[in-house]
Amino acid sequence: MLLHNFMYSLLVLLRSRGLVFWTIAFPLIMAVLFNLAMSNIESSEKFQKIDIAVVQSEDYDNNMIFKNALEALSGEDGLFHIKETDLKTAESMLNEKSITGYLTLSGDDVAVTVKNSGINETILCRVMNEIKSDSEIVVSGGTDVINQKIASGEFNINYEDIFREETEKLTGGELKFKDTSPAHMSYVMIEYYSLIAMACLYSGLLTIVLIDNKMPDISAVGKRCSVSPTGKFASITGSLLAAFVVQLFGLALLFALLLLLGADFGSQLLYIILLSVAGTFAGLTAGIAVSVLIKTNENAKTTIMISITMACCFLSGMMGISMKNIVDVNAPFINRINPVAMITDGLYALYFIGTGSRYYIDLASLVAFSLIMLILSWSRLRRQKYDSI
Amino acid sequence: MPDKIIEVKELVKEYKTLRAVDGLSFDVFDQEIVGLLGPNGSGKSTTINCILSLLKYSSGEIRIFGKEMKPDAYDIKSKIGVIFQDVAVFDELSVYDNINYFCGLYIRDKKQRQECIEDAIKLCGLDDYRKFRPKQLSGGLLRRLNIACGIAHKPKLIFLDEPTVAVDPQSRNSILEGIKKLREDGATIVYTTHYMEEVEQICDRIIIIDKGKILAVGTSDELKLLAKTEEKITIEAAGIPQTLVDKINGMKYVSGAEYDGQRLVISYSSAGDNLTRIIDEMKDNGIRCSRIYSERPTLNEVFLELTGKELKD
Repeated sequence: MLLHNFMYSLLVLLRSRGLVFWTIAFPLIMAVLFNLAMSNIESSEKFQKIDIAVVQSEDYDNNMIFKNALEALSGEDGLFHIKETDLKTAESMLNEKSITGYLTLSGDDVAVTVKNSGINETILCRVMNEIKSDSEIVVSGGTDVINQKIASGEFNINYEDIFREETEKLTGGELKFKDTSPAHMSYVMIEYYSLIAMACLYSGLLTIVLIDNKMPDISAVGKRCSVSPTGKFASITGSLLAAFVVQLFGLALLFALLLLLGADFGSQLLYIILLSVAGTFAGLTAGIAVSVLIKTNENAKTTIMISITMACCFLSGMMGISMKNIVDVNAPFINRINPVAMITDGLYALYFIGTGSRYYIDLASLVAFSLIMLILSWSRLRRQKYDSI
Repeated sequence: MPDKIIEVKELVKEYKTLRAVDGLSFDVFDQEIVGLLGPNGSGKSTTINCILSLLKYSSGEIRIFGKEMKPDAYDIKSKIGVIFQDVAVFDELSVYDNINYFCGLYIRDKKQRQECIEDAIKLCGLDDYRKFRPKQLSGGLLRRLNIACGIAHKPKLIFLDEPTVAVDPQSRNSILEGIKKLREDGATIVYTTHYMEEVEQICDRIIIIDKGKILAVGTSDELKLLAKTEEKITIEAAGIPQTLVDKINGMKYVSGAEYDGQRLVISYSSAGDNLTRIIDEMKDNGIRCSRIYSERPTLNEVFLELTGKELKD
């Protein structure tokens, strides 16, 4: 029965022109348009190293982990071009816009000062956050090693070596912050990432149609299915699998087109696919929630889902990367619950710093988002008798 | 006595302050066509939805095939077919695929399913349209597809909830003939409608419902006996004097005579040779009649007398 529902759900989805357009064709069209629009910008505005300054201080000189990280990031293939200077000069350079921002250290805390909101500022803030969280891991690990040595009566301790070893443990022998991406981040890649995230969320349109057709209080077809001897679980599972397959097919086409258009996903493609699968699951469950929790007709629900997706895309920086930074600075909570931001953030993390904690946090956030959507929908999904239909 | 297929006892369904079904009790017997007749909003569809365990009900007992009906009573559900008032098909699937999908929810075996689908297509007259999408079908054909999807698995018990709403007369007749054929093949049918002609045409028993209550139960003839008027004769003629109208009013079995200058309508409390007598009366008084016709009371008149309002109100 699951297979019967799967096959026919697949047929229904693939024969629905509106759904095929939004979930498969629209992202492909957008990819081509982004490519045409951004290629001109790319040629005139190549991504360059980000100029930043570090304010010299005793704390900076003593923070070996931070210094090592910055050193690694400012190498030949690094992200940053770093000048060490005093606070006054740093401020004046920022005012003259000769640097994107400057860093000041107070104890182990790093303060990032920027003047504008933009892609470079976003990258700077993200990387510094990553350094900070990894520094805490290294310090904690190093402190444990020192305590163990003292406890075992060993007092001749080379602190520098211990922290270097801890750093290497964390990064697998190489500093994580090194630019391991195959090419510098381009504007068109940023848009492609947003597009992948948008396509994932559009999978919700598929589940709206399928779930509406399973619920007797929503549609006539739902009533007919509910009086049949087929259990709701088998029926819904078959339909969800079909939606998943259709969306993965659409994503496969999108990835193929992006590769044809010259997108360079480097060696991270498998991780990108994993994130996209999690994003698709988030989209599917968001669609279920819209279907069962919002009492209106199917067209209105579709409009709501498209609007939510576009709003999420906007807030995560699809229409201007600076928006992501504005939201991150002023209302970080929004992007913590925005599935598009989780996907794009994970993709940025993969691009700049590889499969670090940030990537896995984004992956876990998407799974948590999906579970919350399912929990919210569960009581309506499992209902068998209704007060009114 | 035939087996009871449905037993409904003291069924009550309340929506906050509204009592939509008010203590309904009735039985449906094997291979019977029972009509639930009532105006829109009388509680017919609510009753069906309660019987099918789609709606929660406040109190009462429902048994189908001798067993308590519950949402997970799959053995009962496998023997039931339902045709809802709203057309319940997928726009994206062809006529054949729609029937195949819904039939597949009941029958797993492909060969057996294929035979059932062919029978349903034949019964509903959809042979020429099997590759059509629902949007390419006329209203009548769409209704026939709706029925085919509900009966393809050859159910023992079929609920038809106003299946002929907005259907042309030709399709309506085809649908009604199809329903009779289903009964001949052994099905028990519960048919809800507010079209009295339909229940008169196909139902063995009729249950008249209003405001969630049963007003009367019986065959069409039994119900018509409830009407005070047994015959109504209409005479179309000009120049009938008032004295003659008064005379007719005093005749045996006449319960009322009204003349509007063009038509004289005479109501009789008992049927007999009223028509012969009134024709003679007209001849004797030199009245030239352009048209005379006699009517038996309709279920609408029965309903009017029971409730004080028209069935189609």
